[in-house]
Parts: sequence; C-alpha cells; structure tokens
Amino acid sequence: MKMTLPAEEPKHQRHIIPRQKQAKIHQSMNKNMGRFFIYLILILFSLAFILPFLWLISGSLKSSSELFANPPIWIPEVLNWSNFKEAFSAFPFWLYLKNTLIIVVFSCIGAVLSNSLIAYGFSKIDWKYRDAVFIVVLATLMMPFQVIMIPLFLQFKEIGWIGTYYPLIVPHFFGNAFFIFLLRQFFKGIPKELSEAAKMDGANEFTVFWKVILPLSKPILATVVIFQFIEAYRDFLGPLIFLSDNKLYTLSLGVQQIMSQNDPRWGLLMAVGVAMTLPIIIIFFFLQRYFIEGITFTGTKG
Amino acid sequence: MNIQKRILRNGLLFISPWIIGFLCFTAYPMVSSLYYSLTEYNLISEPNFIGFDNYKQLLFEDDLFLTVLGNTMYMIIVGLTITTVVTIMIAILLNTKNIKGMSFFRIVFFIPTLVPFVVLAILWIWVLQPDSGVVNSILGFFGIDGPGWFSSPKWAKPGLILMTIWMSGNMILIYLAALGDIPKSLYEAASIDGANVLRKVFHITLPGLRPAILFNSITGMIGVFQSFAEAFIITDGGPDNSTLFYSLYLYRNAFQYFNMGYASAQAWILLIIALIMTMTFFKLSKRWGFED
Amino acid sequence: MKKIMSMSLISVLVIILVLSGCSNSNSSSSTTSNSKEFTYWYPWGGDSEKWDKERIADYEKEEGMKVNAVYVPDGITNGKLLSAISGGNPPDLVLGDGNDYQLAYSLAAQGALEPLDKYLEKAGFDENTVLEGFHDVMKQPDGKTYILPQDSNVNLLYYNVDMFEAAGLDPDNPPKTIEELDKAAEALTKLKDDGSFDTLGFIPWIDAGEDPYTWPWAFGADMFDTEANKVTLNEEPMIESLKWMDSYAVKYNPEKIKSFTSGFGGAFSPDHPFMTGKVAMTVNGNWFANALKIYSPDTKYKVAPIPSPPGGRENATVFGTNVFFVPKGAKNPQAAINFALYGNQDKVLAGNINIWRSISIWKEKSDAIKWDNDSVYETVLNVAASPNSGHPALTSVAGEMGDELTSIRDAVIYNHEDPAKLLQKSQDKLKETLEKK
Repeated sequence: MKMTLPAEEPKHQRHIIPRQKQAKIHQSMNKNMGRFFIYLILILFSLAFILPFLWLISGSLKSSSELFANPPIWIPEVLNWSNFKEAFSAFPFWLYLKNTLIIVVFSCIGAVLSNSLIAYGFSKIDWKYRDAVFIVVLATLMMPFQVIMIPLFLQFKEIGWIGTYYPLIVPHFFGNAFFIFLLRQFFKGIPKELSEAAKMDGANEFTVFWKVILPLSKPILATVVIFQFIEAYRDFLGPLIFLSDNKLYTLSLGVQQIMSQNDPRWGLLMAVGVAMTLPIIIIFFFLQRYFIEGITFTGTKG
Repeated sequence: MNIQKRILRNGLLFISPWIIGFLCFTAYPMVSSLYYSLTEYNLISEPNFIGFDNYKQLLFEDDLFLTVLGNTMYMIIVGLTITTVVTIMIAILLNTKNIKGMSFFRIVFFIPTLVPFVVLAILWIWVLQPDSGVVNSILGFFGIDGPGWFSSPKWAKPGLILMTIWMSGNMILIYLAALGDIPKSLYEAASIDGANVLRKVFHITLPGLRPAILFNSITGMIGVFQSFAEAFIITDGGPDNSTLFYSLYLYRNAFQYFNMGYASAQAWILLIIALIMTMTFFKLSKRWGFED
Repeated sequence: MKKIMSMSLISVLVIILVLSGCSNSNSSSSTTSNSKEFTYWYPWGGDSEKWDKERIADYEKEEGMKVNAVYVPDGITNGKLLSAISGGNPPDLVLGDGNDYQLAYSLAAQGALEPLDKYLEKAGFDENTVLEGFHDVMKQPDGKTYILPQDSNVNLLYYNVDMFEAAGLDPDNPPKTIEELDKAAEALTKLKDDGSFDTLGFIPWIDAGEDPYTWPWAFGADMFDTEANKVTLNEEPMIESLKWMDSYAVKYNPEKIKSFTSGFGGAFSPDHPFMTGKVAMTVNGNWFANALKIYSPDTKYKVAPIPSPPGGRENATVFGTNVFFVPKGAKNPQAAINFALYGNQDKVLAGNINIWRSISIWKEKSDAIKWDNDSVYETVLNVAASPNSGHPALTSVAGEMGDELTSIRDAVIYNHEDPAKLLQKSQDKLKETLEKK
C-alpha cells in the first residue's frame, strides 16, 4: 500500500492548505482506508473461492479414514499417491481424455470458423433486414436446450448419428448465438477505415474478413476458444444422451460411471477430479492473457 | 447486379452457416417437438396422436410437476438474485484501479468455471459434507451448528446456490467488461460534485451495468432451466424431491421412463415460461429506468 | 466471382473438417454380423467384473467365439440401452444387475426386447428345470419369454452380536416381527450427552431398506396386479409400511439420521455404519456377508429373515435377480442366448456363488456350490425357497413406480405427510401412464 501523505496532519497547518487540496488529502486518506477494505474483502472472497480446490487436492491425497475424519484434516499424514494410480487404472482415463479432446478440438474449430464468419455478416456488412435477423439470433439465446433435446435426439437417431461424435461436433459448425454476439460486439469496435482502405485496394469481403478483421481479433477468438473449450470439456448431458458405446465415452461420462457404482471410492474420485481439471486449467493459462481484454459488452470500446 | 442486392447476397452468404444451423438444429426440432408433445411416443413403437392429453396431465394432474416448477423458480428468484448481488460486488471490487495483484484475483474468480460438472459434483459433495466438510467445520469454528446441506430437504437448494455462486465467474467477467465501458468522466464529474462511493455505485455504476444485468439475468435464468448435471449427480432430485429441477424431471420422463411425448410437452411449457420470464425481465428493466 | 469462389472454398473446408473430424471418431462403433461374434453389456466393476471376464475368456476358448464385452454400469436406468436400440446399434446381450429386472421387464412390456423362446428352444433349454420363483420375471402376459435369469440374491437382517449382548438382547433370538424389531432398535440406540447419536439400533431406509420395494413387500403389499394389469399402490399393507417408517422418522429426525449416515462409506468400505458399529441392525443382501469378511472381519454378526408384521410376508425377500435379455434388433441373438445359458450354469457360477452366497436358479442342486454348514447360507436358502419371496412391480411402469414410491417415502419421513393420500395420487398417475403405454 502506498501512503502519499502522513496519516496525521499537524493541526496548525490545516488552515493554510488551500481548500481544493484539503479535499484531496481527505479523499486520499479515505482512499487508503477504502483500499485496505477492498484488499481485505478481495482476499476473503478469493480464499473462499480457492478453498474448495485445496480441499479437492488434499482429498485426493488422503487415505479413506482421513477423508471421513471429523474435524477435517487438511494435510494428510502420508501423501497417498496411490489414489492417482488407482484412478488411472479404475477406468481408461487416457482413452476418455483423448475422446474428450477430439470433441473439444473439432467443436472449437467449428465455433471459431462459423461464428466469426457469421458475426462478420452481422457487423461489417450493412445488408437490409440485418438487425431484424440479429434479433432472431439473440432470441435463440433465450431458448433452453431441453426444448429441442428430444427432437434433436430423434433427428440424429433418424440419420444414424446416435452413438457417434457427430451430434456433439457438427452443430458447432453452424453458429452459436452467444459467440456471434461476442464477436459482433468486437468486430463493431474495429474502425471502419481499415476495411474501407482494404476495399479501396480491391479486396472483396472475404479477403477483408480473412486478412484484416481476423488478425485483429485474436483476443476475442481466444475468448471464443476458451468458452467453447470449457463448454465441450465439461459437457455432461450431451454425451450422456448421444453416446452409447463406452469406448467413445468422454471423461465426464467416465467419471460419472465410476461414481455411480454402488460403492464410490472417494479418495480415488478426488484424484480423478484433480486429473480431469488439470488439463483445462493448463489450457486456460496459455490463453488467459488474451481472454479478458477480448470481451466488450456494449461495443463502445475495443 | 445492383449494389443493394450484392450487399444483401454477401451478408446472407456470411451468415449462411447460422441460417442452416437455425433451420436444422433449432427451428425444425422446435416444430417437431410441438408435434411430439401431442403424441404418446416411447421410441420403439410409432408415435400415437393423443391431442392435448399430455398438457392436461402436466398442468392439472401431475403434482410432481408443480414441485418441480417451485424448485426451479426458487433457484431463479432466490438463487439468481443472490448470485447477481455477489457477482456485481466482486466485479466492482475487481474494477478498482491501482490494486496490486488484480490479475491474480481475476483469475481466482474465473477458475471455478473451468471445473467440469462431474468434478464439481464430487467436490461439493465433500465441501458440504455435514460431518466432515469444509463449510460446516468453518461454521462450527464460529459456534454455528451447520445444516445437513444435500441431505436436508430444506438446505439442499441453498447448498446448490452456494455452488452456483462459486462457479459464476462468467457473470463476473461480463460485469467487468461492462464496467470497463462506463466512461471514467462520469465518475470524475461525480467526485467533483462530492458524491461518495455509495452514491457513485447507485447513480453511475448500477445504471451503467443495466444491459449487463439484463443479459446476465436472462442467461442466468436459462442456465437454471438447463442445469442438469449437478442435481443429477449430487442428489438425483432428492431428498424429498427438493432438488428435482425442470430439466432433470424432463430427462427422467424422456430417457428413463421413455415418455417422449410427455417430455416434449414439458419442453414446450418450458419454452413458454422462458419467454414470459424474458419479457418480464425486459419490462422490469424498463420500469426501473433501464433501457437498452 | 472471386468472392463466390472463396466462399464456397470455405464452406468446402468446413465440410471436410467436419467429415474428417468425425470419421476417425466413428470407427469404433462395431457393426459386425459375424456369427462367431457378439456384443455383451455387463453392469459391474471390481471383483464381479474380474469374475465375469474369466467366464468370458473360458467361453471364448471353449466355443471359439469372440465376445465384445462392454462395461455399462447403469445402461438400463439412464436410457443408454434405449438409445442404442433406437439408434439401431444395440448390443446382442445385456446383463441387468439385481436392481434392474423391473426395468428390463418394463422394456419387454414396451416391445424393446426380443422374445427368446425360439433361441432357448434351439439351445435345448427346458423352463421346468428353473425354480418356480423365477417364472414370473421371465414371461410377459403374452406367454413369451423375454428374460433369462442368471442367478439371484436375497435380503436378510444382519445384526451385531456384541451389541445385542451389551444391550441385554439374546443374539440367538433375533426379532421376527416388526414389533420385536422396534423393541430391539430402541434398546440398541444410544445417545451422546448432547443429544446426538452415538449408535442407532436400526434405520429402516438405509442399505437394502432404501429400495422402495423392500418394506412394502415385507408388510404384504402387492403394488401391481399383473393379471388385471392394474396399479394397486393404495393398499393397507403399503400404508402400514410407510407409517411404520415414519414412526422412526418421528422418533429420530431423518435429517439428523442422514447427516449421521452421510459420513459413512458404502458397503464395500470399512466405514460402513454396520462395520463401524454405529448401526446395530441393518437389512442387506447376501453378498454383504462377504463384504463384512473382507472389510470388517472382527464384526461378530448373525443373520435372520427380514421381520414382518402379522399378516405380512413371513420369511420373505424381494429377489435381486441378475437377468439376461436380448434387445430388439440384436444381430446375433442365438449366440447371445448360447452364452447366457453357458453363463448361468451352476458350475460356471460356482466361483461367484461360493464367494457371494448368491442363489442358483436351477431346481437341481449342484455339488459345485460349497456352502454346506454355513449358517448365513442356510438362511439365504430358507428365504429363497419361501413361497412368500418374489419379484414385485413387474410392469411397464416399473421405472415410474420406483421413483414415485421413493418420493412418497421421502414425503412421509421428512414431512410426515399422509401416505394414503399420496399413494392414491400416484396410483392414479401411474394408471394413466400405464394406459398410454
């Protein structure tokens, strides 16, 4: 914390400080107090947010009697790494990780390609009816997946896609309202002059999109990738409904499967939890520096 | 080709993936869902048209459906309100200028949203374990006898709300983005007028967050309607059906009892409820001086 | 023109990506119709899985078959099977574990399973060699056989001998009636100074008691009238059983009980409340005796048939029958049935039965089963042979019925609601669903 002024101001000096400055001093003292509280609250909140993670990690290294101990034990006496060893042999972790990543990677490719194209069409080309159609896009945001879940299932069943990854990948190549919205906001913030200049040089819309807009959009594309990655990686209902062969299972299904055995082994499950969360956190740290700057909400900044 | 037409063609070409997707994966399924909702269909034999029987049964005969609606509404009205207040608070704190370690804090609040649902379930079963969980032992430290959480019909939903707050990093992020868009000059002007922090929050920050609050409320509401994995894995709707939420009940009817028609009727009622609630949110935000 | 070119290029690119992305993920869905090969879904992990894999390996060696064995733990309950059937790629054979035969029966009633008669006949199966107690689950009202039992389990009352003696109860004279059970439970319950539980004598709704049919069956409830195809939930024995459970809820707050038991481990961990001596009596399957041997060898226990009230079902149990069945659209049903009939022979099951004390479905006793002079197995056989034991809720609405009964029980024990009213409502609801199916 930086103190710009001593906390106690000699009283006799007070009257000689000009009014404006006096207000400033008052303000900065307030500011320091305020800042202290902000830190305090932030640290408390962060602790509350981190605690469950620490609990997971500590649980993954505990023996079963330590797990049930009351009061709880935070640091296990002996680090019980065997939980991890057993976790990897309890179910085909690596196969399921690979399956999950196949879905994740292709759905991310789909999301980036389709949504950036679509968002370009909704922001950089000024066609008739554009805003009316965009309202329809936004309206689909307000539709719960459950409404179309059954007919989608029946539709995919009709074309023989049940038990394959198609239902989990293909729809992502056809746009997603939330991503279209995010990208559109970002594209709108890119100065018109850039695309106009390129067009003057004879570039067509696609070239402008590909050569001018996309290179400038790395932060928001990274954001889309992160969101889609998270979405596909943690998805549970989709794989539950659309996959049947357990060789094709994702990690989520695999973990739920060993959880639903009549006798869950919690130490092992905590270890699985750690192992399953780690890859996504690693990916996040690679992409996070683009992440927060990518989102603009009202489109006035960018 | 005239210019107007060419622009229209270009626009439509660019959005064509969405048009195809909308027709195949949204519009058509919605219409067929409407049809199935008027039938009795178990996937094996052909759908059998029964008119509005499913709707009649759902709305007037199925007591469980009322319980389910009540549970879901509780999560929206109580849960979403609390989540909104907490996330806005965190976002405002995070938006304070010149705070060291801010990027660290931002990451801390976002990371929980990375946790896969199944892991979330494993984790929170343990965090809220009545005997040896973290939350109850902290409460015990302050001399409070913690509740049974997921083993109590009264406390299971509050337990899930705690969990929702924990993983609401997305909302915080949206609020942060919206906060960044509020012009700094407004605050400076208010400071010159001698406004205190609270006044600034209520007169500048909150009005500035209007669109973000509306957006988060609507997506949050849809999120509640869609939330499935948590209740499916942690409590399976219990105890005493206190966590039997809309999508879990719909899933049961469709994929455990194979009443596809009945479940489709539920889906359509859900759509209507979501529509009404969205419109209510828009109305409310206008009434409170929010306009988009 | 150039624009159109590049546009179509990108669409082609998208499509190629989609196709290439999915084709390599799609390769493992097997669509073989080779008669030397079939797919088999089994429900268990752990020791049972090891045992099943040995059985499969032996069969493959003896018959020169290839069995694609797939572990699907809750395939029937969560709709995996139905989506496989309707997706046109079902397994040839499914083994449902002891809690799932009602759902299997309900699938058969809805036309999702293949009738087995002609395959069974071809394999030389004679249904008269199967114990009478299993005929109900095998056949539908249309007279066709859809389900082939593998083996079965029964539920028993386990009680802790040391705790009985400490409470002044006679371990050789376990409770036979509900009244005696309540008295023993009372005597065995100990509270701590602060009013929380130290040990509980008995909790009706844990272990096998959690199964919605266990207690209604003991009290004499029928739940479903197969001949009249009628749901009969609202009957006196059913009401009695719920009221009886509520008497425990009134005496000991069920939320407190749930907190008390939620720290406990499952039946296959040393933290099970019966093993740690936190609960003195519990109702559980025959297999629990072996779990006790592994995880808590020092617990001194005995078993007895589940107590029943006057007019209830004495010496009875709800069977936990493991069942084979063939989904509609299976490509190799004959091979599936041949394997099932190999797999449910006593000599093949002996390895399993001699560990878990399960019961054979065959009338003729086999020498391969070695539980002579075992007091637990004596009770198991006694209960299994009882004409009062059976398979409840054989109906197309079994899934709904189970959930309805669970939620009624919760409403009764948590909120002390009137069971008769709830039962009537559920009965009406199920009746309507039944008519639609």
